Amino acid sequence: MKKKLWAQDLKAIPFLLPFFIAYLVFTIFPIFKGLEMSLYDWTLIRKLEFVGLDNYQKMLGDPHFWKTLWNTTLFVILTTPAMLILSLVLALLANMKSKFTTFLRGSYFIPSILSVSVISFLAIFMLQPYNGLINTVLHTIGIEAEPFWMADKALAWLTIVIVTLWWSVGFNMILFLAGLQDIPESLYEASEIDGATGWEKFRYITLPQLRPIGKIILLLQILASYKVFAQILLITGGGPGGGTRPIIQYIYEVGFRQNNLGYAAAMSYALFFILLILSVIQLRNQKEER
Amino acid sequence: MKKSKYLKRNRDPYHGIKVTLGIIIAILFVAPIIWMIFVSIKPDGFTTTQPLAWFLPPFTFSNYTNLLFDSLILRWTLNSFVIALITTILTLIITSLAAFALSQMQFRFKKTIFIFFLIGLMIPGEATIIPLYEIVKSLNLLDSYPGLILPMIASPLGVIILKSFFDGVPKEVIESAIIDGCSKFKLYYKIVLPLAKPALAAIGIFTFIGSWNNFLWPFLSVLSESLYTLPIGIPLFNSAYTTAYVLPMAANAIASIPVIIIFLIFEKQIVQGISFSGIKG
Repeated sequence: MKKKLWAQDLKAIPFLLPFFIAYLVFTIFPIFKGLEMSLYDWTLIRKLEFVGLDNYQKMLGDPHFWKTLWNTTLFVILTTPAMLILSLVLALLANMKSKFTTFLRGSYFIPSILSVSVISFLAIFMLQPYNGLINTVLHTIGIEAEPFWMADKALAWLTIVIVTLWWSVGFNMILFLAGLQDIPESLYEASEIDGATGWEKFRYITLPQLRPIGKIILLLQILASYKVFAQILLITGGGPGGGTRPIIQYIYEVGFRQNNLGYAAAMSYALFFILLILSVIQLRNQKEER
Repeated sequence: MKKSKYLKRNRDPYHGIKVTLGIIIAILFVAPIIWMIFVSIKPDGFTTTQPLAWFLPPFTFSNYTNLLFDSLILRWTLNSFVIALITTILTLIITSLAAFALSQMQFRFKKTIFIFFLIGLMIPGEATIIPLYEIVKSLNLLDSYPGLILPMIASPLGVIILKSFFDGVPKEVIESAIIDGCSKFKLYYKIVLPLAKPALAAIGIFTFIGSWNNFLWPFLSVLSESLYTLPIGIPLFNSAYTTAYVLPMAANAIASIPVIIIFLIFEKQIVQGISFSGIKG
């Protein structure tokens, strides 16, 4: 009996091992390595002395840390509701039966497959003062203002939010679309017999039926938004005056420009715990919905 | 059933307005991409304050030939393509092998191992990027193809999606194969994998596009320009306050056209794949 068990275990090993090793080295081990690094003075070249919790203490008193964490949170607050509403509206439009359905779905989704570098530089060139597409269109329709989109903090945030929505709303739209298609047709038919109006059908059938997928999208969106980095780096560089700089950019700057990987690792832990809590909530929620 | 749907569509008095709204938004969504294509075929140095002029001749393709021959962009495209392709193949191989074991084999600690993989879903790569850099450095893999590929291949989500897919393979199929004397590996390769094509395609497409567009990891781990991928290389063409659009826009177009083609070919699988992985994962 015991021998047989061993034989079975041995057979499974070649199947499991390749994934197991890659997973261990590049996913699990970094968590422990990060903990070690955060307790040291650690440069890009080598490990220096053990400093205990100094890096964490420094973090708590570092105004840039709090500022960039707040900027990231602000990004989450600014994008999440707009993302939910826009993706639902687009899903409803793309779910209508008409000869344009494929065109609508394709158009809403296609920006999401473009590289963040491409969408960021498209935004920069479109928003260029004096000869960018947006400003020249404004002039053509008689608005003589010359907005410097990246120089004003509020405009810079507006730009980042709109570009992010444009870039990634298609992904969430498809999740809502899948949710819409799962709603049993019989519900609508029954309500029609009762004389329900279009709005009533939306309010009392569509919305409640979409609640589970809506919750998943909400959590996935918050989770993804806390990781924001590339489009802000490429569009505003974190400016003006650090006003849009997110936490990952600050971690990158501390680690790679100020040559302090230990402190960067400590700050990564703060981000790690925020994301971990969100993931746990998300997975739990998904289990409930299933 | 079909008839009732048809009737309902005509009953909505706002149908026309909604479709029109949908089309207007769709045009707004693709307009920047179309503008990019038009700018990319303008003569180098072209600039205008008339929006319409961007969309009218003169056109030329010399930007494309200039970029392709005089810059590293072809090299970067090749890098992105090779890295995305190898990442995708390796991911599919190792995740499907692990998923097969978890779904179709008996061994001790199976549940523990599955939970151990589940934990990976909660670990955000962005927050462990600093230690990852250090680990890849100590493996002497910084600034190399393996350094760009290997950290990206262990996708727990892939294992979990494939396992649930393999679980759905009918028991009779598996049993009759075993009776025919099929070895475990043959069962995996000849029976289970072919049945899992839709799931493999979805995971494959996502891994490919994800790798093609990956920014943060190449940004940190690559130093030599000859090893740049497109997302890292493209920004070199653009400096923030330049007024020369045409060449950078051609570079953007070159970086986008391959994924746009992939999208047009695989649209259905991509759409199904998202709804599949979004709900399950």
